[in-house]
Amino acid sequence: MYGKSSPMSEALKHAVLIVGAIIVILPFYVMLSYSMKSPHEIDTNTGGFFGDQEPMLDEWCVKAKTPSGAVASKELIQSCTKTPIIFNYVGAFDKAPLLRYLLNGVFVTASIFLIQVLIALPCAYALAKLRFWGRDAVFMLVLFCLLIPVHAIALPLYIMLSKVGLINSYAALIIPWTISVFGIFLMRQFFMTVPDDLIDAARIDGMSEFSIVWKVMLPCAVPALMAFAIFSVVAHWNDYFWPRIAVTSDRNYFTPPLGLRMFKGDSDGDVYGPMMATATIIVTPLIVAFLLAQRKFIEGITLSGMK
Amino acid sequence: MTDRAAVIEQTPNQGAPLIAAKSRIQWISYLFCLPAITLMFIILLVPIFVAAVLSFSDYSLGNQSLNWIGSKNYEVIFGRSSYQKMLWATTAYVLIVVPVSIGLGLGAALLINSLKRFSDFYKAIYFLPVMAALLAMALVWDLALHPTVGYVNQNLRLGCGTMVETILSFGWLPFVDGAQSWYSTSCADEFPLWIGDRDYALATICFIGIWQAFGFNMVLYLAGLTGVPRELYHAAAIDGVKNGWDRFRLVTWPMLGPTTVFVVTITAIRSFQVFDTVEALTQGGPAKSTYVMMYAIFEKAIRENLVGFGSAVTIVFLGFVLIITFTQRYIVEKRVHY
Repeated sequence: MYGKSSPMSEALKHAVLIVGAIIVILPFYVMLSYSMKSPHEIDTNTGGFFGDQEPMLDEWCVKAKTPSGAVASKELIQSCTKTPIIFNYVGAFDKAPLLRYLLNGVFVTASIFLIQVLIALPCAYALAKLRFWGRDAVFMLVLFCLLIPVHAIALPLYIMLSKVGLINSYAALIIPWTISVFGIFLMRQFFMTVPDDLIDAARIDGMSEFSIVWKVMLPCAVPALMAFAIFSVVAHWNDYFWPRIAVTSDRNYFTPPLGLRMFKGDSDGDVYGPMMATATIIVTPLIVAFLLAQRKFIEGITLSGMK
Repeated sequence: MTDRAAVIEQTPNQGAPLIAAKSRIQWISYLFCLPAITLMFIILLVPIFVAAVLSFSDYSLGNQSLNWIGSKNYEVIFGRSSYQKMLWATTAYVLIVVPVSIGLGLGAALLINSLKRFSDFYKAIYFLPVMAALLAMALVWDLALHPTVGYVNQNLRLGCGTMVETILSFGWLPFVDGAQSWYSTSCADEFPLWIGDRDYALATICFIGIWQAFGFNMVLYLAGLTGVPRELYHAAAIDGVKNGWDRFRLVTWPMLGPTTVFVVTITAIRSFQVFDTVEALTQGGPAKSTYVMMYAIFEKAIRENLVGFGSAVTIVFLGFVLIITFTQRYIVEKRVHY
């Protein structure tokens, strides 16, 4: 902005921004703090940020390892006594197959991105660099499809997928996202800036159009592709709406947000700790990646603004 | 490759190989576009058609045939009170979240942009909610806003009877009766149940939506601000524009016009799609006060298998989104700058 600001107004600005920052941070603070506290500390709001980490008895562990009717042995009680932080984070993986959910999430997110690129890149190349009859029509189609919000096609897609018996499968989680018109549009705009000479040179060298796409254009497009990757991965790792619809019952296909949601179903106070631990585990990878590469991430996410 | 050689050998004139190469390019282009076009049709266009058709039926999964019921589904949406509540809740959500998250985003962008130091620090913090899975954070907010063990109410209660109450009850302002303020009456009685209270539920869902969205708007505005030429501020200063508000009103805000149109559109479309927070926290309740369209589609069509009706809601939703999009296009073409 223009003008000089006095130290006074500078301090005032910081004060306002800090209050905002506290509100923004608050749930992250609660999440992290509760993921380390014992149920008692959560109930009574004691223990500060880290909790006292006093060893506690994991009754769930005792129950699970004692045959019904039998009295728990002393060693068992000892082995089931843990500090709250261990209780919560081990509980996150024990009470629900979180590891499976995380792997599902990685698999689905990675598959979606790879297929999107596989489909979008040749099309974007053709639209940007090849002359063919109907090219404008195809591009118009892409622009038209950009207007369609995915939330509007979720229900009919669900019906179509259940008609072919694909609900509760990886396919159901992946198929709707295989086409990214936004990806086509983005890559086309980027390819337009690649000089024609480069492609002509590749042709003279005897490269087929197919290998031009993957060996010449793809390496050129790495920056745009990175932004698109961030956009795609963040959107699908965090997505809850579509998985909630596509996976109705089979827990084997749960993605991390679905797994986390299950904690809320059985809301006895004991699970708050493990639930917050699960939330922390799900949220942390992207947050850490963001903090490490802020500029790239902001670029990638705001791309979605064009969507 | 051998085909081409054969073509050249057979035809002595110069144009033929070029034509052959051109038609080969044609075929390759179609080959390259074919998967994308096919998927666009199957995944994006056909479903809209399917939804439009089903919206005039009372179809449920498992039905053998389509039973046409005309526009009855639409009449229910616009005629029955529980669905009028749905339209109202959705509209109210959009009308609250859009201006507030844009206002906060713009405010944060202006403040951060004018800072000498630490601007990256605030930018990173304000952007954190955009990165985090909304469902996870919704559940955290749910816990933080829990009526008894929640962090928010516990700390609000701690403030009762202390200086915090004195400040927040605004009794120190002239003509304000502190004892009647929200904070003091809540202290005397009880703090709200937030998402369990029909008077607060929608506002709380809106709050989470704003919390999540404003960092995104801030980043878009920061990008917009870099595009405002400094000369304009100099020119304004020469013309006698002295205070910051006039500078904003006469230079910054008009120059941010295109950004604003864009931010309003995207925030509005996203707000219409609100689902995660409602599904996880309120399930449309209490008393349908947070019964938004996406949740209605989910509940009716997928939970209760009223596919025909859900399709009609989907089409209404699509209508809303397209109206916003076309309005944006119209404004952009008419006047990008004021």
